[in-house]
Amino acid sequence: MRVKADPIASPGRFHAVLFNSLTFVVFFVVVVGAYWALPSWAARKNLLLVASYIFYGAWNPPFALLLFATTALDYYLGARIARAATPGSRRAWMIASCTSNLGMLGFFKYGNFLLDNTQWLLARAGVTYVPPHLDVFLPVGISFYTFHSLSYTLDVYRGVCQPTRSLRDFTLAVSFFPQLVAGPIVRAADFLPQLVTAPSLRAGQFGWGLMLMTLGMFEKVVLADTMLAGAADAVFGYGGPLPALDAWAGVLAFAGQIFFDFAGYSTCAIGAALTLGFHLKDNFRFPYAAIGFSDFWRRWHISLSTFLRDFVYFPLGGNRSGPARAALNLMIVMFIGGLWHGAAWTFVVWGLIHGVFLVVERGLKALAGEAAWTRTFPVQLLMAAGTFAVVCLAWVFFRATSFTNAWHLIGAMAGLAPRGDALLASREILQVALVTAGLIIAHWNLRDTSIEAVVARLPAALVVTLWTLMLGAIVLTQGNGHAFIYFQF
Amino acid sequence: MHSSISSFERVIPALPWRRLALLAAGLVLAAAAAWEVRVRAWGYAPCLNDTPDLWADWREKVRPDSIVVIGDSRALFDTDLDALEQGLGRRPLQLAMAGTCAYPVLENLANDEQFHGTVISSLIPLMWLAPPPSPPYQNSLDALKRYQTRTVAQRASHHLGMFLEEHLAFLKQEDLTLEQLLKHVPVPGRPGFHGPPELPPYFQVIARDRRTRMAEAAARPGPLQDHVKGAWLPLFTPPPPPSYVPPEAFARGMGEAIEQRFADTAAAVKKIQARGGRVIFVRFPHTGALKAHEDKLTPRAGPWDRIIRESGAAGIYYSDYPELASFDCPEMSHLSGPDSVEFTRRLVPHLRAALAK
Repeated sequence: MRVKADPIASPGRFHAVLFNSLTFVVFFVVVVGAYWALPSWAARKNLLLVASYIFYGAWNPPFALLLFATTALDYYLGARIARAATPGSRRAWMIASCTSNLGMLGFFKYGNFLLDNTQWLLARAGVTYVPPHLDVFLPVGISFYTFHSLSYTLDVYRGVCQPTRSLRDFTLAVSFFPQLVAGPIVRAADFLPQLVTAPSLRAGQFGWGLMLMTLGMFEKVVLADTMLAGAADAVFGYGGPLPALDAWAGVLAFAGQIFFDFAGYSTCAIGAALTLGFHLKDNFRFPYAAIGFSDFWRRWHISLSTFLRDFVYFPLGGNRSGPARAALNLMIVMFIGGLWHGAAWTFVVWGLIHGVFLVVERGLKALAGEAAWTRTFPVQLLMAAGTFAVVCLAWVFFRATSFTNAWHLIGAMAGLAPRGDALLASREILQVALVTAGLIIAHWNLRDTSIEAVVARLPAALVVTLWTLMLGAIVLTQGNGHAFIYFQF
Repeated sequence: MHSSISSFERVIPALPWRRLALLAAGLVLAAAAAWEVRVRAWGYAPCLNDTPDLWADWREKVRPDSIVVIGDSRALFDTDLDALEQGLGRRPLQLAMAGTCAYPVLENLANDEQFHGTVISSLIPLMWLAPPPSPPYQNSLDALKRYQTRTVAQRASHHLGMFLEEHLAFLKQEDLTLEQLLKHVPVPGRPGFHGPPELPPYFQVIARDRRTRMAEAAARPGPLQDHVKGAWLPLFTPPPPPSYVPPEAFARGMGEAIEQRFADTAAAVKKIQARGGRVIFVRFPHTGALKAHEDKLTPRAGPWDRIIRESGAAGIYYSDYPELASFDCPEMSHLSGPDSVEFTRRLVPHLRAALAK
């Protein structure tokens, strides 16, 4: 079985325009300036559409055509679903949309994975089959924009939104540059209504948008790339025995890196959208303070978990057909959730670990009910710590390049190599410890509130100081240009 | 049905955001200006960073009959493009990179079916024979990957970055990034930890055409020169085998990788020669304890002679010629800026002789 590539360690090939690049700074200033200078709403939307396609096409222009083809097809299919005279034909048009979107995703993302696994299965049956290797290039952000587009036809089918009459508006909804390549997965039903009338900026909206962009960038280039990525890459890339200290430091570093990388991107996207007058929903709500796994998935990559809930879990029957069927449905959803992240069984195992713990948690809740002792502080704290520990354990499979790599690291975390090689310097371990402690403390203290509520209570002088420090640290990193991890998904 | 007006609006914290933004921007600019003054006082001056993007700019300019300089930092520091242009009649393209094994670049040129030009390559055996995935080999692959895959957005960022680097001294990727600065935080060492050897600090000035000169502060005795000098011996000492690989297996694997490199080098040279191209290997001056160290680990009669013999390439070993052997390397490994010009002038007749053969 082929070992999965390791783009997380060096995700350099996944480049549209990066938020953390000088090109984006210039692009953003020009686009925002021109956008607010244009008097007509239609002209502004045209500008955003062109800018979004430039943003995407700067990576690989031909793939912008693929993006448009996907969009145009779903625009057409959405209209056909709405006009269909019978439930059967509505369903047929909806299936056509699912087939085209998932077929394209399957070809680009899972083609070689399927061929490899077919080869492996046939080999077990004694059949020798040498599949061709499909030399296809994964279009950046394909998993995100496919879901953006698919959400439209599915919501039209469900009757949650009406089809738009404007191809331009729908094309903009799918390709809106802040969320195009790495989410959040913005539903057309949430975005299209914002294209009806010209937005007006509320007091402070532009400045708060810039603040969120700074925060997101700080999370990405300072905390993820500078403070944590080195330790995570070193530990996951090491083939020798590791002491538990190094193994745990590497895994905690990755837990922090992937949060700051992805949440940073989402925060930038939300901030950039705000400066243009658009409102995107939160994609993260302090997930490392989750108490249990259902709580975790209400806080981590919310746009994906709600997508899978609405379009997979509920249609499968959700929890309406008894606990056993609900458990199976959960496992199916988490299997798909794992596979969505990449064409490798390690991603699937990551999803299934979460699935198993979601099922176990449901069972325990059914047994314990709403007992008062489960809500006491020590128990909540213990459950949060347990959730975080298992989440970290699951990250090992997510990040590892193979199962051998994953088991090797889990063994080291369990202390099976006490005389292993001291891989990380004291300084690197200290960096990981400080950032991880800060992350968990921040999430725990903010778990029942929002960043907006907290900032509103801070003195203006402190806000300026924090903003200046974040900007200063970003400047000091000198723009390392690391792509965001989630670009590959 | 969904409302035609989105019901979701984000909360905006009630603070004077315009004023705060202007204040934060002003403070950051002031802090950046203060940092700029500070690093200039330390001796830094505005100049380009030698990035894979800058290298890719020049790899793209290679034409079928170009003269190309490849190799490690000695080819980068010690060859003067003007002197080479004067002597050879054409301006060469500088594709040498500090801290690299140049074999992947030679292989890339050999596999370029159109290329039938001249390759002048530095050959430090310890660098040339570095196996994958050692840093010297990986550095070359990174630059090649950038050349082969870079996007419009990356090009734009590179050109904007060069403009800033030519005006701001604190944009020094070797020394002054947050990541590098954090390494200076005094944290007690860890028992049993053996990190990679420290790289030398910034000690060069590079132009847009990648002509590189040693910084004057490194060419004269002083703290910078001492710092650079101190870096070479650890860097030129092969790392110990990994703890989890038996020493015999490691030695066998390394031996096989080195044998393969000899064969691959000869094959790459012959490919270029078969198209009418030329390859000239040059051993550049190095002095003092570093020369003794290199001579001990890789005596001339070893890798150098073998590569020249098996590949059929021309070879110019500086110590064979008194006019090339009379230079001193201030920090043991590279020539000073003025000496690099003179050295290149004296090298030209030997290059011409090699090309005439």
